[in-house]
Amino acid sequence: MATAELLPGTLDVLILKAVSLGKLHGYGVLLRIEQISGGALLVQQGALYQALARLEHRGLIDAEWGTSENNRSAKYYRLTTAGRRALGEESASWKRLSDAIGLALSAKPGEA
Amino acid sequence: MIAELMARIRSLWRGVVRTRQVDADLNDEFRLHIELRAADLVRAGMTPAEAARRARAEFGSVEHHVERARNARGLAWFDEMRFSWLDLKLGGRMLVKYPVLTIVGGFSMAFAIWVGAGTFEAIRQLVFPVIPLPDADRIVMLQNWDASANRPELRATHDFVAWRGSVQSVRDLGAYRTVTRNLMITEGLAEPVYTAEVSAAAFRVVRVPPVLGRTLAESDEQSDAPLVAVIGYDLWQSRFNGDSGVIGRTVRLTGAPATIVGVMPDGFAFPRTQEVWVPLRIDVSGYDRRQGMAIRIFGRLAPGASLEQARTELTNLGRIAAADFPQTHQHLRPQLFTFAESVRAINGPGEAMTLLTGNIFVMMLLVLVCANVGLLMFARAATRETEIVVRSALGASRRRIVMQMFAEALVLGGVAAVVGLTAAGWGVRWGLDHMRAELTDASGNFAFWVDGRLSPLTFGYTALLTLVAAAMAGILPGLKITRNLGNRLKGTTAGAGGSQFGGMWTAVIVLQLAVTMGFPLVTLFVRKDAVKIETQPLPFPVEQYLSVRLDMERLSTEPGADTSAAAFEARYAAAARKLEMRLESEPGVTGVVFAQHLPRQYHPNNQVEVDEGALAPLDERGYRVGSSRVDPKYLDVLGVSMLSGRWFNTSEASPDARVAVVNKAFVDRVMGGKNPIGRRIRYVSDPEPQPWFEIIGVAPDVGIKSGWGPAGIYLPLVRTSMYPLNAAIHLRGDPNAFAQRLRAIATDVDVTLRLADLMPLKDVVNGEVRFYAFWVRLTTIVSAMVLVLSLVSIYAVMSFAVSRRTREIGVRVALGGSPWRIVTAVFAHPLRQLGMGLFAGTLLVWALQGGTDNGWPTAKELLTLGAYTTLMAVVCLIACFVPTRRALAVQPTEALRDY
Repeated sequence: MATAELLPGTLDVLILKAVSLGKLHGYGVLLRIEQISGGALLVQQGALYQALARLEHRGLIDAEWGTSENNRSAKYYRLTTAGRRALGEESASWKRLSDAIGLALSAKPGEA
Repeated sequence: MIAELMARIRSLWRGVVRTRQVDADLNDEFRLHIELRAADLVRAGMTPAEAARRARAEFGSVEHHVERARNARGLAWFDEMRFSWLDLKLGGRMLVKYPVLTIVGGFSMAFAIWVGAGTFEAIRQLVFPVIPLPDADRIVMLQNWDASANRPELRATHDFVAWRGSVQSVRDLGAYRTVTRNLMITEGLAEPVYTAEVSAAAFRVVRVPPVLGRTLAESDEQSDAPLVAVIGYDLWQSRFNGDSGVIGRTVRLTGAPATIVGVMPDGFAFPRTQEVWVPLRIDVSGYDRRQGMAIRIFGRLAPGASLEQARTELTNLGRIAAADFPQTHQHLRPQLFTFAESVRAINGPGEAMTLLTGNIFVMMLLVLVCANVGLLMFARAATRETEIVVRSALGASRRRIVMQMFAEALVLGGVAAVVGLTAAGWGVRWGLDHMRAELTDASGNFAFWVDGRLSPLTFGYTALLTLVAAAMAGILPGLKITRNLGNRLKGTTAGAGGSQFGGMWTAVIVLQLAVTMGFPLVTLFVRKDAVKIETQPLPFPVEQYLSVRLDMERLSTEPGADTSAAAFEARYAAAARKLEMRLESEPGVTGVVFAQHLPRQYHPNNQVEVDEGALAPLDERGYRVGSSRVDPKYLDVLGVSMLSGRWFNTSEASPDARVAVVNKAFVDRVMGGKNPIGRRIRYVSDPEPQPWFEIIGVAPDVGIKSGWGPAGIYLPLVRTSMYPLNAAIHLRGDPNAFAQRLRAIATDVDVTLRLADLMPLKDVVNGEVRFYAFWVRLTTIVSAMVLVLSLVSIYAVMSFAVSRRTREIGVRVALGGSPWRIVTAVFAHPLRQLGMGLFAGTLLVWALQGGTDNGWPTAKELLTLGAYTTLMAVVCLIACFVPTRRALAVQPTEALRDY
């Protein structure tokens, strides 16, 4: 399957979506995004941690230390109430935008 | 919204305060990420080593990701503002690498910090005295305030007795009054000692035990109890040689025998500078309310009581007293202060403003010095331009480079602060010693809470000053040098000229020149003033005279004596007359004369007007002249003759006499040299006009000091209405040798007579002159420092500015420009700065001098001024000449090589 570059500003909402499905460590977030996008979206590893720090700083996700699958200490992220609200708003906004772009791109010569 | 804000604050706080922890967490997280990725790759068929390598490569630079994650938390700004130990180390290395800047800049900053910290400490001691007694903030003073007369009512013995019996929130209420007593240890020789008549409660309030014997007890206050005294440590050491057998010894205090019962420890001088404590015996039966002795009342707040509670209680008692005794207490408002509040030298917003103004001067000096150091730092930074540009190209942000320069300035400032503080401690002690006359009472001792030590507050203030100084000397040049770094990179690689001084630095240079010129000249004028006062020649052999002020105990030692003011005046006049006769009969004495003020002592000045013939005053302040009431034999004893007219005769020594003698300075200054005899003179006062006095003669100038020049008038002395009198005693031998004899005679004449300021007349220097001497020394030091530092920095800066044009000069030479035209072009800018600086300096001198009454400088002073200005010009020219000559010698090929 072909992969696509992330549009600027979309990583944050993808991370929010990923952690809304269950608490995850950083690498888990990366895998979850690849999984839910059907492998179509590849996330820059460095950009991921910058985005996680930003979201945590804004209070949209929260972190706690736990144990990973390889029995190591890992930082697990989960969605906060503010993050859930932000995810809802961002999802609705993204849907409106994508519908509008889809509509625009599907226009035929006779409809103009 | 609030949750988000709180999350941001929490995140920022954690990032700033727990930087290492945040970074370690990120590293742990990254390590796990790489391990998990490597494990996935192994599962996909890679070897563990290859998988690990691949995982690391995919992840990229851990440091870079840590930095980006920190940036995402908004910590980039903090990271750039923070400087490390390495920055400080680099700053230290820079100090060693540029020793001239270190010495000049360090000295400049140390000097500014010295002045700043010293001034701050002096102000703190005056405004916020710290009382060195246990729990001193609970020691309180109580007084009645007379609201109708707007002054304290200290005659409060009745109130004291009432308060002592009723006030609950203040314990151990006591009272004191300070008096000077003649202490006689051996028969026939009495010396004044500063004594407190004090309640025994005082020693419980101050909580200081004696080193020997006991303190005063309540039983000592009984009127029939034998008189006892507690003495201070210094007195014990100086007069009793620290003899431990002093307890039980009997001395005489103004004639009355007193037994010494205790010695207080070193430094104890409650309530101010006292060295002897005797019981205060209060008997209210002899006086009505608001009559009797003036006392000050003190106590200690009861455990658990607050100042507010005590004030409320006292206010209520005041209301009750006003209702019970309306005739005396209707307008009295009881007040309560802490002891520290009651002894503040400075009170009220007006005086605080004066202090603030003084501090503004210090701050201006600091700004100037720091701007100066900033200039030098900028010059140094300009020589490191390539390094700065390269650092920028390697990714250092502008803020980071500026912070590095700030760190360098901070290291310099830190060293300067240590030097400045060490000097400030010494400076405060030196200043206090010089200001002794102004800060102390008649004992010549400082109040016990005044010391020369620096307080923690001053250390804090110095730290703040150092930060400000480092910010000015580091951040400002840093901002200037890092402006347009991108373009500079291109310029540097293309070999173009580097940073130049902009408008702000030109202003700093001009200001520097102006102050360099202004400071020493003001000192010159101040010195001129002081020298004028100190060295004005007197037309009589001043070294043959002894001077003394004659004080007297207000209360007679005679039982049942008349205590009225008139009786005191009569007693005083009689004692003075008796002393005069006794002295005149002494073989070594050739003359004795009494006066309100003696030559070289301060003569109060008053505005006067002459009926006609006087010059028009220069301004609305009119003529202010010194005056003194003197004995008819004043000039005879001093051995000087009248210049014209006549002196007073004996019959004119009466309150109704309306005659005056003026001095020569008066004739010159007020009359423009015209004959004043027969003219009339009077004090200008509003609204009641003062009576006219006829001028009957002109005396030579015999040392009138009024702060307004030597012009003055003499009026006849009326002995019975003048207190205290000063006496000048003309002696055949050494005046010092006669002092002991004089004390013995005075004690013999009247045991209540006190001889104050007993010294040879040639040593009489009034407080004003002492202040001048201090001020002259201070301004001379300040000026000398400013002068040297300024000349060095002006040289450095001008030399730097010209050397920046080396390549331009070389190119001009290479293109065939005439050396003369090149020199003219190079010198034009610095010379313009020099001209502007000298002009501004002249304006500054004129403005500073405007408020004083010194007159215009003499030809000699103008010559000094000219020489000094020339010196400055020469320094500036040498600063321009040396690098210009070097530039002119550059080979054209060398200059053109980079083009």
